[in-house]
Amino acid sequence: MTQSAATSEGTAISAVPSLRRRRRSPFRRKLFPYLLVAPAVIYLLMITLYPGVYAIYQSFFFVTFTGWVPAGFENYTNLLRDREFWAALWNTLVIGGISLALECVIAMTLAFYAYRDPFIRGWRIIFLMPMLFMPSAVAFIWKLAFNDGRVVSDLLMQLGLISENIDFLGDVWNARLTLIVADVWQWTPFLFIIFVAGLQAQDKEIEEAARLDGASWPAIFWNISLPLMRPVIAVAVILRGIDITTMFANVFIITQGTPGGATETISYFIYRMGFRTFNFGYASAASALMLIFTIIVAQLLLKRFFRSGRA
Amino acid sequence: MAEIELRNVRKHWGDFVGVDDVNLKIADEEFVVFLGPSGCGKTTTMRMIAGLEDPSGGEVIIDGEVVNDVDARDRDVAMVFQSYALYPNMTIFENIRFPLRMRGVPKAQHVELVKRAAEMVELGDYLDRKPGALSGGQRQRAALARAVVRQPDVFLMDEPLSNLDAKLRSAMRVQIKHLQRRLKITTVYVTHDQVEAMTLADRIVIMNGGAIQQIGTPDEIYSNPANTFIAGFIGSPPMNLIRGRVEGGTFIAPGVKVEGIDAESGRAVTLGVRPEDCHLNSAPAEMTGIVFGIEPTGDQTLVSLRTDDDLFEIRADRDFRAPLDTTAHISFDRDRLYLFDGVSGERLR
Ligand SMILES: Nc1ncnc2c1ncn2[C@@H]1O[C@H](COP(=O)(O)OP(=O)(O)O)[C@@H](O)[C@H]1O
Ligand SMILES: [Mg+2]
Repeated sequence: MTQSAATSEGTAISAVPSLRRRRRSPFRRKLFPYLLVAPAVIYLLMITLYPGVYAIYQSFFFVTFTGWVPAGFENYTNLLRDREFWAALWNTLVIGGISLALECVIAMTLAFYAYRDPFIRGWRIIFLMPMLFMPSAVAFIWKLAFNDGRVVSDLLMQLGLISENIDFLGDVWNARLTLIVADVWQWTPFLFIIFVAGLQAQDKEIEEAARLDGASWPAIFWNISLPLMRPVIAVAVILRGIDITTMFANVFIITQGTPGGATETISYFIYRMGFRTFNFGYASAASALMLIFTIIVAQLLLKRFFRSGRA
Repeated sequence: MAEIELRNVRKHWGDFVGVDDVNLKIADEEFVVFLGPSGCGKTTTMRMIAGLEDPSGGEVIIDGEVVNDVDARDRDVAMVFQSYALYPNMTIFENIRFPLRMRGVPKAQHVELVKRAAEMVELGDYLDRKPGALSGGQRQRAALARAVVRQPDVFLMDEPLSNLDAKLRSAMRVQIKHLQRRLKITTVYVTHDQVEAMTLADRIVIMNGGAIQQIGTPDEIYSNPANTFIAGFIGSPPMNLIRGRVEGGTFIAPGVKVEGIDAESGRAVTLGVRPEDCHLNSAPAEMTGIVFGIEPTGDQTLVSLRTDDDLFEIRADRDFRAPLDTTAHISFDRDRLYLFDGVSGERLR
């Protein structure tokens, strides 16, 4: 319509010079978007990529106080023969895996009961609180509760569940349990909030249709909600999983890897190699291995969850 | 087998009244259509029958039992949603089977029942697809199959055809009616489309502003509309409504003069006349207007006439043509005139 109007008055329009079509130069058109994002990209590169590349570079050297000696792949081959490295990897998997599984199950269960609750906004705020505390402060509280202050032991004794003090750092599984409890307490809310949001975003009419079809709420959850939540769960698990593999603050403050290295996670191992023994090349190599490992696992998970979620 | 009764049913959210004092009895095996403009409370009323919405007042009664406190899940009611609400993670087969699984129908019968339901709605060969891979019409059939598979007491359908194209819509309309007659299930059907209502319903419930305006068979509603709202809503095109007044037994409005109207002088009234009860006349008759537009539909020609301040539609022969602004004289079928109160809109005669 407007076009035909324009052509019928074509002569009048071409007489007005200001309506001449202006062409942007190809250079400007192509470069402009990049210029717009450049500051953010440069900033990100500086704080993430640069240290990363630096670490990988460093992993090919023996770093001493007098200089860097080229090491080839020797740091890596040494690592693969290092029983402490494998132990740390195993600890990370066990502690992180159990924590993550517990967090998912607890968060999903709570989300299932809470998402239809009219007071859900209140619940969300209450559940959010553990996440708002500073991780190191929380770690100190747990340290106090489990070890120094013996709060947990006292409580259990008061309840008559145990008869004498437990030394939580004295036993492999008790020490791991300490870390697991601390992590679950602090991070279940994160998953809870994601899961509640996922459940609330579901099509209400689908729930209603299922109700009329005779489904109970748990049946709706298992048959419909949970399958539809797969992508949400995958993203949440990957985010949390990456975070958990780098678990450090709690280990550093609560257990320091005791007893006998049973709670030494990869992050703590890297820290120990780097800042206790000043073996920076070795620590960097461990970081690089961990990076590769994480990327592979995340990719596998993403592919699995997103592919089979479709069609 | 189910009778439904609504007694003084109301629904309000805060101050906003969505459904106001609805009273209605639906007989067993009856096909009732709720008809009304968008936002008049049809869906809300239906959802209260389903148990998806709690009434703010009044009673919902199914088979003599007050079901206000019965969970949606325990009323034997099946519903077809406007959005179809198929389960996107399940195949069509699993979708149709879902109510059987949930209601504990023995597993051995599932395949048989699903197949039969799919055949009934002519779903075709799509049982192993997911809803996302179906067209609108196929999804609609799948939703229908899911509703019929367990032979519910009551069938509820909320504008099930409104997302389909015109041709598919009329085809599905016939199929829904056939299905209902065959299964003999009490059915409540919501629509804003008066053609759907007229063709499907045993009885039509016309709603406006949350309240029932009239209940009746399609014939009753068409030939005896209770007020100007209904008269102006039913029929395509709907009844012409002319505002005017009566002066000594004569109805007078700009461009219109009808003698022999039995109402007291000076009273404001609205005269109603259906497009098919108007005839082109060579000499001046009840009405005179100028041609505003001509719409040939093939089997007839719709002519819009303009009087002083109103548009007026009549139905003319299929070959009637006239240039714009031609003056036209119209005569009315005198015994098919309707008279409504000019203020309340209630039918006088
Ligand atoms: N949950 C709700 N809260 C507030 N108002 C609502 C709600 N649901 C529906 N309404 C209002 O009630 C009126 C009737 O709605 P509805 O029954 O859906 O109309 P329709 O006849 O188009 O199906 C509308 O004005 C709508 O905005
Ligand atoms: Mg509606």
